[in-house]
Amino acid sequence: MPIEVSRFTEVLMDQAQLVALAIMAAVYLLKIRWILNHAAASERTPARGDHGKAIRYSYATLAMPWELPSTRRHWFHYLEFAFFHIAVAVAILVTFVMPYWPRLLSGRDMVDLLQIVFAVGLLAAASRLTRRIGTPAMRAVSSPDDYFSLLMLGTWFAAAILAAPQASEPALIAFFGLTAFFLVYVPFSKISHYIYWPFIRYYTGKHFGHRGVYPAKSVPRHA
Amino acid sequence: MASGNTQSPSARAVVEGFKNGLSRQTVLSLGACVHCGMCNDSCHYYLATGDPQMTPAAKTDKVRKLYKRHVDWLGRVAPAWVGGATLRTDEDLQALQDVVYGSCTMCRRCTLSCPFGVDTALIMRTARGLLTAQGFAPEGVKVVSKDQWEIGNQMGVSKEDYLETLDWLQDELRGDVGDPEAMIPIDKEGAHVLFLVNPREIKYAPMSLLAAAKIFYAAGEDWTMPSVGWDNTNFGLFSGDNKLGAHMGKLAYDQARKLGIGKVVISECGHGFRATKWEAPNWAKEDLPFPMESFLETMVEYVNTGRLTLDPTANPRPVTYHDPCNLARSAGITEEPRFLLKRSCLDFREMTPNRQENFCCTGGGGAMSMSEYAQRRLQVARVKADQIRATGAESVATACHNCIDGLSDLIKHYELKVPVRNVCEYVADALVLPAPAIARDALIPTGLRGKRVLVIDDDPDTVVYLTTLFEDQGLDTVSAHNAAEGMTAARTAQPDLITLDISMPGRSGADVFAKLRSDEVLARIPVVIVTGAIDFRELMYRRNVPPPDGYVAKPIDPELLLMTLRKVLEVRHREGVGSGEGAAV
Repeated sequence: MPIEVSRFTEVLMDQAQLVALAIMAAVYLLKIRWILNHAAASERTPARGDHGKAIRYSYATLAMPWELPSTRRHWFHYLEFAFFHIAVAVAILVTFVMPYWPRLLSGRDMVDLLQIVFAVGLLAAASRLTRRIGTPAMRAVSSPDDYFSLLMLGTWFAAAILAAPQASEPALIAFFGLTAFFLVYVPFSKISHYIYWPFIRYYTGKHFGHRGVYPAKSVPRHA
Repeated sequence: MASGNTQSPSARAVVEGFKNGLSRQTVLSLGACVHCGMCNDSCHYYLATGDPQMTPAAKTDKVRKLYKRHVDWLGRVAPAWVGGATLRTDEDLQALQDVVYGSCTMCRRCTLSCPFGVDTALIMRTARGLLTAQGFAPEGVKVVSKDQWEIGNQMGVSKEDYLETLDWLQDELRGDVGDPEAMIPIDKEGAHVLFLVNPREIKYAPMSLLAAAKIFYAAGEDWTMPSVGWDNTNFGLFSGDNKLGAHMGKLAYDQARKLGIGKVVISECGHGFRATKWEAPNWAKEDLPFPMESFLETMVEYVNTGRLTLDPTANPRPVTYHDPCNLARSAGITEEPRFLLKRSCLDFREMTPNRQENFCCTGGGGAMSMSEYAQRRLQVARVKADQIRATGAESVATACHNCIDGLSDLIKHYELKVPVRNVCEYVADALVLPAPAIARDALIPTGLRGKRVLVIDDDPDTVVYLTTLFEDQGLDTVSAHNAAEGMTAARTAQPDLITLDISMPGRSGADVFAKLRSDEVLARIPVVIVTGAIDFRELMYRRNVPPPDGYVAKPIDPELLLMTLRKVLEVRHREGVGSGEGAAV
């Protein structure tokens, strides 16, 4: 059963989150407006391919690792990506459910499931961080923001594991404190990449579709 | 120059241009990269060297640092936190030039590997454009761009040379098909097809143009070539100079409009096709009233409609196909060449990977004109060499002249011993044509007989081989085995043409060439470079002196060498064939 928490924790889990969320939404709106303020290049030659089909294909590559040479070759990295982002999505969902409908997450099975998801996310974060530190090619492109983002997300998963049973107020404070921090920090950091994703995949699909490159033609599979 | 916190005028101009000139797609490609490393092994530079600075992300970061420092919101406050930095000195610009010109062919293989679709080529081209505007570009790129601006083609071919070459090619066509009426029409109004070519086909490698002419002849096509605006290549694509890109496009589009043609067909040139069909209309801001297609598509249509009959037994040896980046990844042309090669060759073998996943030939992005980076280009070509070797093919087909040059260099360097030709050359070999009505000799008397050739080569076997080959054709020969002997012989023997090796002990062939070209008397003698080295490309592109009249790679293809000699001697000695009298106007 969820424990009773102090007023401070209550505010942290509710109003503080809403304020941080509002900041994030405002920054994202500004960011989207800023992106759209840049003129998009367009094509004048009539299309060779089908835009709509290509744009759908471009988005769908997210769930079709066999379509990109990189994810086909590095399937472990793709799985790592998938588990990491599923854990992020579940943790975000938890931050909405826990303050308002805590009993939805209070069953033992549910807590176990959440903890497993967060633990896998934590492992994925650790693996990514290790690769970033240990591989010269990764180290060469990594900024402090790259390391910090992974480190903080790993810490957030750890806090989520502890907070999932809703039995420890310090764990809840850590989890929601980090969440509030992320909501404000993320729009400025590399983690905001997901705001670019729908736009860049759209233009990638549109461009390569126009030229008849997307959807990719049948290519003999190779390692 | 600048020091401390000051910024050089050029660096300031690059930074200001960068801040103010980004398209939405460029901003997205700069902002979206999360440094995940998934692109690393898509790049032949990284695969071949293992150098962490050669991954696509590391290379684009050299440009992205500007975005992080000057555009990104957090980066403007705390640049070091997100990897932001600015450009201060001309040395910084030179270092950036080495990255964006010298370590990326803008092949876009990484873009198709990137989970986001970050367009590395777009970022590189943006940076190239800013640097070029400040004079920071490889010398060859500057020279070629200047020629495109001033003369209208990248090899500085004069209108007279162009028309005389077409006239000579028309004779070759007539000789090959045995038909004195066969034509290479020029400026024919209302023709169905306007054919645009790569200047390499006019200047150095007329085989592909002759093959195309044969194919048009066999298909009974109503075609023409323009007397101006005939260059389908576009160094604006490589240098990031959209104005040059628009200029080159307009030259061709204006001619197509003026002649009222049915469609523009672009010869087998990867970047030429991409630039002319897809990019230049955007740069020129023109919606064009005529369709444009690759010659590959034209040939497929001829086969499908029964206008061409092909006999694959004409090409019995195993052939593989190299997909040019600009056709496969930027124009969607992958199946047409396969369709043609499978019908023109008995044993077609796929290269792996292929189509849009193929590796770059290493000559893309203008790399062939950048002699500064030739050694790196050959080093990273190992990936391509391994790919070709694994096919077991005895020849390579491709549909791009840059690829032919890039592949030829790496084939020499890695001793693969396979020739590279355009797809249309295989198709032309496989054409089923009626037996010639008139023998070749009766149609085109050779211009070689009685001419004197000076062979300069340090290898005695090569000298014997060449002099025997030439004497069999009725040529008079003189030989020299080193640079000093060669210079003396050039003065005393008064040859009509010199074949010159580049790699010789002591003074190199390149020095001899420069000396020949600088001598008031000897400069008039045409020179054909016959070499196993790749240094000669510097002579073609840097042009401190006028470029050679021809080049043939070792191991020598005798047919190609004789054709080159015929072209150089016969075109040069045509009298009265000027601008008004090209081929069949």
